[in-house]
Amino acid sequence: MSDAIRHKLTPLEKSERRLGFAMLAPAFLLLAAVVLYPIAELIRNSFHFNHLAQPWMGTPFVGFENYVKALGDDRFHEAVWHTVLYILVTVPGAVVVGLGLALLANKPFAIKWPVRLGLLLPWALPLVFAGLIFRWFFEYNQGVANAILRGLGFEPLNWLTTPSLAFFAICLAIIWKSSSFVALVLLAGLQTIPKSFYEAAEVDGATKWQQFREITLPMLRPAIFVALIFRTITAIQTFDIPYAMTNGGPGNSTETLAMYIHKTTVDFLDLGYGSALAVLMFIVSALITSIYLRHTRRDPGRH
Amino acid sequence: MAGIEIARVVKAYGATPVIHGIDIDVRDGEFVVLVGPSGCGKSTLLRMIAGLESITGGTIRIGDRVVNDLPPRDRDIAMVFQDYALYPHRTVAENIGFGLKMRGVDRAIIDKKVQEASEILQIGHLLERKPGQLSGGQRQRVAMGRAIVRDPKVFLFDEPLSNLDAQLRAEMRVEIKKLHQRFGTTIIYVTHDQVEAMTLADRIAILKGGHLEQFATPEVVYKEPRSTFVAGFIGSPTMNMVKARVAPDASVIMLEGGASMAAPPAFRRAAGRDVLLGLRAEHIALSDAPAALAAQAVIVEPLGSDTLALMRIGAVEMTGRFAPDSGLVAGKGVKLMLNLDHAHLFEPDTGLAIV
Repeated sequence: MSDAIRHKLTPLEKSERRLGFAMLAPAFLLLAAVVLYPIAELIRNSFHFNHLAQPWMGTPFVGFENYVKALGDDRFHEAVWHTVLYILVTVPGAVVVGLGLALLANKPFAIKWPVRLGLLLPWALPLVFAGLIFRWFFEYNQGVANAILRGLGFEPLNWLTTPSLAFFAICLAIIWKSSSFVALVLLAGLQTIPKSFYEAAEVDGATKWQQFREITLPMLRPAIFVALIFRTITAIQTFDIPYAMTNGGPGNSTETLAMYIHKTTVDFLDLGYGSALAVLMFIVSALITSIYLRHTRRDPGRH
Repeated sequence: MAGIEIARVVKAYGATPVIHGIDIDVRDGEFVVLVGPSGCGKSTLLRMIAGLESITGGTIRIGDRVVNDLPPRDRDIAMVFQDYALYPHRTVAENIGFGLKMRGVDRAIIDKKVQEASEILQIGHLLERKPGQLSGGQRQRVAMGRAIVRDPKVFLFDEPLSNLDAQLRAEMRVEIKKLHQRFGTTIIYVTHDQVEAMTLADRIAILKGGHLEQFATPEVVYKEPRSTFVAGFIGSPTMNMVKARVAPDASVIMLEGGASMAAPPAFRRAAGRDVLLGLRAEHIALSDAPAALAAQAVIVEPLGSDTLALMRIGAVEMTGRFAPDSGLVAGKGVKLMLNLDHAHLFEPDTGLAIV
C-alpha cells in the first residue's frame, strides 16, 4: 500500500518532500545535539564507573551496579520521599491557589493592571529569585514571617533551620511561584465557558456556588488536568527554590531528588552514580508525560 | 401565568442611552414578539425582563409584582438562549432537569417532568445523549424542554431559531406555536426576522434605535404601519416607497416624473403636500382601463406561486406581485393600475404615516 503511494509521487511532489526534509533538518540536528545526545550519554554513563575524583580508576563498564547502589542508598530514598511530599503538597496547593487567582482575574475589574501584575509577576520571576526572596521572608532576625509573629506577641521561629518549618516555608514559596502558571492555564479555560451558561443557570435558579460546582468546575476539568500534569512534571524536578532557601538543610531534611543528583555529580563528582539517579528521574517524568499524552489523545473522541 | 407590564423603561450604559422609555403591556397568555434590526434594543429589553440586565429607569412588572430589583431566579421565568446554553458535560435529561435540581426538587418528580417534557418535544429517545451528539434542531428542543419543565409564568426566547437552516426554522416555528397553544403561557420572543414575527405573534413590538415604533397585531402592523420604518421592515417584498405630491385640491396625486392618478378621499389630509407614497406589491395590477399608467417591466422574478416584477413608471420604480401566467417579459411595456385605496402616505421628513 505505502509502496503503491510512493510510486505515484510526481517529480514535483518528490522535490517538495526533499525540500520539507531539508527545512526540518536544522531543527532536528539542534534537538539531537542538545536533547538526544545528552540523554544517550547520560544512559551510557549510568552503566559505567565514572568518578572525577578517582581518575586512576578509569571509566569501566559496571552494568547495573550504579542502580543497585541506589536501591540501598538511604539518602536517595529520603530525597525521593521529600520530592514526593513536595509533589503531594505543592501540586494541589498550586491548583487551588491558581484556581482562586484565575477566578479573580476573570472578574470584570475596572482597573485590570494590579490583577494582571499579581498574576504574572511570580511567573516572570526566575525560580532562584523567588527562593532568595522567600529565604529573606523567613530569615530569623529581619524576616517578615518573624516580624509578624513578634507583632502578634509570639516567639520568633527558626524557620529555615527546623526541618518541618523549612519544609513548610519551601512549599509556600513553590506554591506562590507556580500558582500563577496554573492560574494562566485555568484563566484560558475559564474564558472558553460561554457567558450564556451562567445566565441560563441564573434564570434556572442556581446560586453562585451551584454555578461554580455545576458549570465552572466540570467545564474546567480538561484545563485543570493539563495544569496538574505540567505542575507535577516540574514538581518532580524541584530544585531551585529549596536550593536557594535551605540548600537541602537542615541536614538533608529538605533535599529533593534533583538536588541530590546535582550534589552527587557537581559536588561529589560521581558522574556514573549521578547519571543512574538522573535516568531514574527521567523514567518517572517520562511515565507521567505519557499518561498525559494518552489522556489528551483520547479526550477529543469522548466529547 | 402572568402578564407583563413594561412602563417607561429606560436603559443606559453610562451616559449612553440604548432604550429610550418603552411602554409595552403584555396580556396574560399573549405571544409577543420583539422585532427590529440589530442594535435596536430588543435583546437588551428581553434581558431586562429576565433580570440579566439592570433597569436604568421605569418599571417592569410580571403579574402584579414589580421585578426591577428581583434576581432572575426569583422572577419565575424561563429563557431559551440563542446558543441554547446546553451544558456539554451533562446528558440531555440532566440538562432539561437542571433548573429543577438547582431548586432542590425531588429526584422522582424531576424524572417524571423530564420524561413528560421530552415526550411533548419528541426527544424521549435522546435523554441519555450529550448535547454534542445532537443536531441543531434537537438541541433547540432540549433548550425548550429545559424551559417547559420549570412551568414558569413567562417564557422568554432570545433569537432561538437564528442558528438553524431555513427548513428547520420553519419546522421549529410551528413547534413553538404548538407549544404556546398547548401551555398558553405568556411568551416574549426576540427575533430580527419579520417572517417569524408575523407568523408567531399575537402582537408585534417593532423597535428601532431603542424606540418603540409600533406595537400591534401582525395584521395591523402590516396594513396600517405607523412609519416608513415599520412599512419597510414588515412584509416581503418590501413596501414600495416613492416620492409624490398631492394636488392642493386633493383630487390627484402625482408621482415623481409626472405620472398622475386620481386620489382617493383619504388623501385629503395631505392636500398640497410632498409625501412618500407607500404601496405593497399586491396592490399593483395589470390593467387595460383607460386610466392605467404606462410602465415597463425592468426585472421579472418568477417565484412559482406568483411572479414579482420591478416596474418603471415614469421616473420611479415599483415592485408588483402578479399571477404566474401574466406573460411578463423584461423590457416589455405594460399598463398598470395602482390600487390607491390601500396606499399609505408618509411625511417625508419624519417618516410618520399621514394616511
